[in-house]
Amino acid sequence: MDIKIPDNVKEVIGKRGIKEADIEAVVKEAESSNKKLVKNGRNLAKKKIGDVLVYVDYDIDKGVLSKHAKVNSAYTHRIVLQHIVNADGPSGWTCAHCNEAAAFGHVQMEYMTVKRNGPAVVCAKCGDSWAEEYLATKTLAAVEGLFEKKRA
Amino acid sequence: MGYEELFPGMDAKWHANATKRFASPFVDVPTDRIDVDPIILSHAAVACGFTIRDFYEKPELGIHCVGYISHLYDLLAVTHWFYSLPWCRELGLTLQYKDTLPPISTGPIISEPGQVDNIHVPDVDELMKGHTLPEFIRMYEYVAKNLPMTLVPISYGFDIVGAAAELCGVENFIMWTFTEPDAAKKLVKKYTDTSINGADGLARKFGMAMLIVGSVLANNDIFSDETTKEYSADMMRYYVDQSFRRGAGPQIFYHLCGNHETDYKVFKDTLIWSPFTVFHVGYKGKEVFPSSLLKQEFGNMATIMGSVDTKIMINPNPKVVYEQSKMQLLGGRDSPKGYILGNSCECPPYTIPGNLLAMVKAARDFGTFGTW
Repeated sequence: MDIKIPDNVKEVIGKRGIKEADIEAVVKEAESSNKKLVKNGRNLAKKKIGDVLVYVDYDIDKGVLSKHAKVNSAYTHRIVLQHIVNADGPSGWTCAHCNEAAAFGHVQMEYMTVKRNGPAVVCAKCGDSWAEEYLATKTLAAVEGLFEKKRA
Repeated sequence: MGYEELFPGMDAKWHANATKRFASPFVDVPTDRIDVDPIILSHAAVACGFTIRDFYEKPELGIHCVGYISHLYDLLAVTHWFYSLPWCRELGLTLQYKDTLPPISTGPIISEPGQVDNIHVPDVDELMKGHTLPEFIRMYEYVAKNLPMTLVPISYGFDIVGAAAELCGVENFIMWTFTEPDAAKKLVKKYTDTSINGADGLARKFGMAMLIVGSVLANNDIFSDETTKEYSADMMRYYVDQSFRRGAGPQIFYHLCGNHETDYKVFKDTLIWSPFTVFHVGYKGKEVFPSSLLKQEFGNMATIMGSVDTKIMINPNPKVVYEQSKMQLLGGRDSPKGYILGNSCECPPYTIPGNLLAMVKAARDFGTFGTW
């Protein structure tokens, strides 16, 4: 599958330190395993690469002879998402692997050996969880910074 | 002369230890004892020889008093300053400063449910030209310059239902929850949306903004559990969710003052919990909310803050304060995600210093982390 990354997205992922090869790895694994979230044609996939979880938000364009993924955004976080704590409301996303509605909820998060709860999109059936872009790039980035500062 | 010239500099040694203690419940690193946060506001000004009015009318002076007096009582390493009606001036109310009270609303209130539609929710740019946001920005800039080690920019959703009710008068609002629920809900949402824009504005300025939001008017003395959820808990969730999406957070302080005899149950599966969340409940019926129950219900969700009854802080009997502090500490100190000892609401302006000392002494005597 071809992966197209528009220039404006390349600029954003470059600032976030994400390699194009990482994006390709995330999309290919998601498409082969069908482990991803979907919403109105959008796909949200993730893969642990090194110490970070890399997410890719992309659309699939199906042509006559082939299909390609058009990347809308990519982002990362280092905090580790663990088991689901609760699921308390509709998220609008569907877990493609389970074909079940994914919910807003909370998961246990671990960073620097500290375990606390935080919000996430969760699939109660398979137990997987995802952080949307605003959460990863704003809230969780600040959480990681605070843990590092308070543990120093 | 600036207010900073009225105070000696911060004791670095004390502050360094207080900072470690403040961090300890969030990062699982036990320190000398559990922290005490009596929610000091104008008491700090009174203890420094100023007035209640000074505290609210001069935010930079007020917050410097909080930072300074925290050392005397060995309290938090961070500063705060607030009152209960932020964002209300931008929604049409006039606030009047009083000698013995926080600022109060003098109206004009809306009197007809249909008028709710006419209330304009100011956007961030409009809030920047208003009163509340510039006041907070000016004050935090003062802290950044003069007490930088204590700075935590905080945005206040505060009592979402109570502040919204002030826009139409509290009695009208309570009546509308029965007779005009759509208008009452719309009023709360307009106040909440304004608060969210405020959090957005503060986060843009400082790169982050701790969120403080509470359920005070919405409590079991007035509302059923279902009504508290509908008007208060659901909107507190909305406030935090939308504020997170705008870059505010990740610290949250949930403050449930008043009687939450049974409605405390609606918050657990409604609110958003971040890794830096403190959850606080004041009363269960007429008694302080037991820390043992707070730990049982919320200890796995967040850091919890137990309560010492605000009423006893002005009685000349430090032993009573000490014993209640001890009871709460023993009930909550081994909470899995940390425990803080607080008052059930704001520390009264004329709190007896011996009673604050009693809280801190109890924390020194019984405020170990865990049950050892």
